[in-house]
Amino acid sequence: MTLHSTRPDARTDLLHGTLDMLILRTLQWGDQHGYAIAQAIRSQSSDVLQVEAGSLYPALQRLSKKAWVTSKWGQTDANQRAKFYRLTPEGKKQLLREESRWTELVNAISQIMKPAAPTGPSDK
Amino acid sequence: MYLPSWFKKLTRRRRFDDDDLQEEIRAHIAIAEAERMADGADSKSAHQASIKDFGNITLTREDARRVWTPRWLETIRDLTSDIRYAIRSLSKAPTFAVTVVAVLTLGIGVNAAVFTMLKSIAFAPLSGVKDSAGLRVIFGETSVGRDVGLSYPDYVYLRDHDTSFVGLYGHRLTTLTVGRGRGAHPANGEFVTGNYFELLNVKSQLGRTLQPADEAGPGRPSAVVISDALWRRDFEADPAIVGKSVELNNQMLTIVGVTEPAYHGTIVSYDVDLFLPLMIAPDLGLMFGSTEATPSGVFADTRANMLYVLGHLKPSVTMAQAAASTSAIWADLSRDRAFWAQAAEVQKLRVVPFLQYPTSAQATVLPMLIALSAMGLLVLVIACANIGGLVTVRSVSRRGEIAMRLALGASRMRIVRLLIVENLVLAIPGASLGMFLAARAMPVLFGYAQALAAPQRLFFNMQTDALVIGFAAAVACGCALIFGLMPALRSSKINLVDVLQDASPRGSGRGRLRSALVIAQVAVSLILLVGAGLVTRSLDAAEHADLGFKSDGVTAIRLDLKANGYDEVRGRAFYRQLLDAARNQPGVESASLATFAAPTFIETKSQRVAIEGYETRRGEDLSMLSNIVAPDYFRTLSVPVLAGREFDGHDDETATPVALVNRTLAQKFWGSAANAIGRKVRIADGAWRTVIGVAADLKYTRINEAPRPYIYLPFLQNYNPGMILHTRGAGSMDVLIDQARKAVAALDAELPVVSAHSLRDTTRGALIFYTFMSSMLFLFGMAGMALAAMGTYGLVSYTVRQSTREIGIRMALGASGPSVVRTYLRRGLMLGLVGAAIGVATALGATRLLGSFLFGVSATDAVSFIRALAVVLGGVAIATVVPAWRASRTDPLRALRHQ
Repeated sequence: MTLHSTRPDARTDLLHGTLDMLILRTLQWGDQHGYAIAQAIRSQSSDVLQVEAGSLYPALQRLSKKAWVTSKWGQTDANQRAKFYRLTPEGKKQLLREESRWTELVNAISQIMKPAAPTGPSDK
Repeated sequence: MYLPSWFKKLTRRRRFDDDDLQEEIRAHIAIAEAERMADGADSKSAHQASIKDFGNITLTREDARRVWTPRWLETIRDLTSDIRYAIRSLSKAPTFAVTVVAVLTLGIGVNAAVFTMLKSIAFAPLSGVKDSAGLRVIFGETSVGRDVGLSYPDYVYLRDHDTSFVGLYGHRLTTLTVGRGRGAHPANGEFVTGNYFELLNVKSQLGRTLQPADEAGPGRPSAVVISDALWRRDFEADPAIVGKSVELNNQMLTIVGVTEPAYHGTIVSYDVDLFLPLMIAPDLGLMFGSTEATPSGVFADTRANMLYVLGHLKPSVTMAQAAASTSAIWADLSRDRAFWAQAAEVQKLRVVPFLQYPTSAQATVLPMLIALSAMGLLVLVIACANIGGLVTVRSVSRRGEIAMRLALGASRMRIVRLLIVENLVLAIPGASLGMFLAARAMPVLFGYAQALAAPQRLFFNMQTDALVIGFAAAVACGCALIFGLMPALRSSKINLVDVLQDASPRGSGRGRLRSALVIAQVAVSLILLVGAGLVTRSLDAAEHADLGFKSDGVTAIRLDLKANGYDEVRGRAFYRQLLDAARNQPGVESASLATFAAPTFIETKSQRVAIEGYETRRGEDLSMLSNIVAPDYFRTLSVPVLAGREFDGHDDETATPVALVNRTLAQKFWGSAANAIGRKVRIADGAWRTVIGVAADLKYTRINEAPRPYIYLPFLQNYNPGMILHTRGAGSMDVLIDQARKAVAALDAELPVVSAHSLRDTTRGALIFYTFMSSMLFLFGMAGMALAAMGTYGLVSYTVRQSTREIGIRMALGASGPSVVRTYLRRGLMLGLVGAAIGVATALGATRLLGSFLFGVSATDAVSFIRALAVVLGGVAIATVVPAWRASRTDPLRALRHQ
């Protein structure tokens, strides 16, 4: 994970990777437009993760550039114009990769934070 | 335009579409708005909330765009924004920016000029020839190390057997008279072997160049290739020039071609206009010291020293290998030669780089150029120290800004880069202006040199080319890095808290840097001033040097009878009549003729000499310079005749051969001047001559030469078509010169006068390189001094200004103005003295570099050192006193409130 000091938007790949993964995951349930993606992530994380538009749209551009998603203008249920994103086959593969990486990472972190065998009374 | 759909898809997917994104953002806001309204908000507040919720739209668009930009493009964008920022911040400090650019212009201009000269001598000495600095020269050396040319048979053998070289050509410089009558003039020519143009890869723009076929045998074809300059000057760029005739030394030759405009021959400092096949040299009167009567005899004579041989080494061959193989070939070649071969003949062959071509301009001038380059670099060092000081001072006032940037999260790298870009923004115009200055100054300097050298045509490869531009760019970047990086690194190490709290800047570290800068500038400017002082004093000494003759009131009118096709009988008659006419003119006390006017500066060809009663030791090379002079020569030039008499009208063809020698020769071989009378000398293979007189020594070639033996031959026994008419008179020089011209015109209105000056001017012309270099060194010294004075003043006065508060406190506590000034003066002078001490120590070692062009002063001349010291310390004193005095006059209250 490299650090690019000259790119203020590129503090870490980890952060990008995570948001990208969440977007791809959201799109797995069907085509969606930007606003709905942000809403979905928010509601599914019980309002913990708030995706700002300032991060969402660059992320969508990033995913389009890598051809993990395609986009098309269409109509929402409320009959409003919106640009819908769709997962491509490569995007699906990428999502699987991200998921396994994520699981690994979470397991690793939880091993450190919550050791499997409780060892003493210090555990609250 | 039709595009396949897959291509459209591809391009759509691969490109950023800002309009589309903006549309998408609008849609996003519209949807959010609709949802808010569905939740019961009114349309206005829903709209505002949605926009607020979205955040920074512009930033989002920028970030989205950035996703699509390649990394390098982004770097360039960052850089341009840095540059824009730098320009903006510099335009807020115009005095600073203008000062830095001006200082750099001077520093880089001086160095670009010196580098251009260095290039024209050392790196690319020949215009129009690729890798001319890579040429190697082969020449013969006598037992005493005198350089001589190779004979034609030796050259041919070397050319055919030396495998170290890509090819070997031979050449020989000559001066020829072009045309006849009023328009006739002298021109430089090169006699060359047939492979010369091919090996140098020089092409013709019209007709052909010379070819191996032109070397087939003596005499024909009498072809000549002319330079572009001569073609334009003498032939009005006639497009049908090929096949036309030109008269050279009274022989008609056919012009077969015109060289490319860039080509000026292969002899540095000479502008060569004529390229002639070697084989026609005897027809034009050049026998190369051979005693053979026929041209074919001359070219078979191994004792005729005619050619210097040049070529490029093969890619894998080193100089040592080439020298070894050339020596081996020489051993083969000379094995069968009689062991008694004259000592004055070639004993061994030497291979040297083009830069060391014996007695050439490049070899002569190089030491001066090195000294000049060193001075130039010192000027640059001062300029950098100067700017370094300015930048440091400025960086102090910018600490707040930089700390703010660091606090806002800029990386140190980013800030250092910004500061370096800022310096480059200053350095690039500085370098460009410097280049411009140098490019404008060079022709002026060259014109000055050319005027002194006339009618000799000079040429130096001084164009501003890629090499010069590259040099200036490298120097500019180097400067920007040096004077920029030091304060830049310093600033980026700033302690944030200190600065943001606005602690007053009195870091002892910076104070030390400033002191170091002052000391360095004082030291370097002292060195420059000592150098300038030394050369000024030598120049002064040289102007008043005793050359052994009195040039006041003497004219020097150069004539060449070849210019109007005189044979010997007519020539003798002409000169006899000319002398008679000149002597009878009103105001003329005496008149005479000579082949050379001393000092010649250029080493004229010395000749083998035999001296009666003196056995040359084996391997001794006895060769001397000589001059052909008419009766009354010594009287005209006021040269004392120490014994015997000078030539008179009776020493003509019918009388016994006679000669005069100088005092050094007489003392060396016969013990005294009186003893020399009646002895005999012989030049080359000529007749034995009886010595009838001994003259005092002159400076024959250079003002700083050691006494050397010299021989005078009587003109009446040794006719020469090219002579200098000297007349002496008490009246005005202009009148005398004009009278002499009239005397010539009265005898032959068609005969051109090659040059007409006073002898004093001619002498001065011989000092041209000397004068030129000395003036340059003087200018550099002054430029450096001006810069250093400015820099020292700036730094010292800044230090004093920084201490305004301190001064206020002192004054409030009752210190008097003068005592405050004294305190600062003492501090300033301390720094000045330390710098001066370092400068004196360095100068004592460094001025030895100047040795080769000092005259009449030693490299440690006390007067020059003391003068330089006085100027430097005076400068420091003024730079301290003025701001300190000003500070001491401020109201203590105001001073205390300062900052």
